[in-house]
Amino acid sequence: MTGGFSRRIARALMRHAARVMPAPDWGAAMHNELEAIADDQVALRWAIGCLVAGYGERANSMLQTWYVRLGVAGLIALLACREFFAPLLIFAYRMHYLGLAHFLGLRTAGDDYRRLIPVIDATLPWLPVLWVAAGLLFLIALWRMLRRSEGSALLFFLAFGLDLVGAVMAKSIEASTGVVVTPNILVRAAGEVLMLSTGVLLWRMTRRRARPV
Amino acid sequence: MTRTPNRSRQTQRLLAAMLEEPSTWRYGYELLKVTGLQSGTLYPALLRLSEQGLLEAQWREADEPGKPPRHVYRLTRAGLAFAREQSVPARKKAGALLGAKA
Repeated sequence: MTGGFSRRIARALMRHAARVMPAPDWGAAMHNELEAIADDQVALRWAIGCLVAGYGERANSMLQTWYVRLGVAGLIALLACREFFAPLLIFAYRMHYLGLAHFLGLRTAGDDYRRLIPVIDATLPWLPVLWVAAGLLFLIALWRMLRRSEGSALLFFLAFGLDLVGAVMAKSIEASTGVVVTPNILVRAAGEVLMLSTGVLLWRMTRRRARPV
Repeated sequence: MTRTPNRSRQTQRLLAAMLEEPSTWRYGYELLKVTGLQSGTLYPALLRLSEQGLLEAQWREADEPGKPPRHVYRLTRAGLAFAREQSVPARKKAGALLGAKA
């Protein structure tokens, strides 16, 4: 077991890749193949590729565990609640359920729904409908994911699309009224990043499966 | 756990390479050289085909003393049928392209 620096790095990477690989037999197969490669640079490239493969396989197997599924389900439920929040606040204000409006207002930036009255007044009726539709799509996606039915990722991204349309419309209302609902841009960005990464996880989790022959 | 159907270009290349000498057991590194795939692509594809029963794998003692045993692979009967089935549309496509050029 001798070799140059590249070879030693390759061996170390391969040992790690073999450990990471969820199927130990395949990890050993990748590992042993390294010794058949004469060129050190090729061996290093081989080891890096195997490390990527090992982590990919590990990620794939983790996506099927109950705790990851539960986490993704929780995130989708959270996103659905986020979609229902603004319509509920608008509904509470317009129907004069001011106690509810006050309660919801405490969960907005500035802790007071009255700051948002100009935005609520300028909101067209179809916009809350759009958000509710997005929320319902998230819930259906969640239901389908839990039942391991196909199409949950598609429904999720449809909801994501509706949310984006809603966000663009909300932005124009904010511009016209001069009231910014969420002033912290990082909070806004985090919401969209969370939504996108949940969607990617869901897509990877529910990709169509081929049956063994 | 079984996974995505084998429609990717990389898997098609792998199947085509294994179809050339269907009864021969092939090493992973050998398949990498023939297909031009990276090891990070090759092994997940081999693993997926194996899980689906399209590929069989076994350990073989190394030719040189002191070297560890190696995994060898070949298509199963079902794998052969699948690979042949997959190669037909590719051949038809190539034929159609050639016909269009002529």
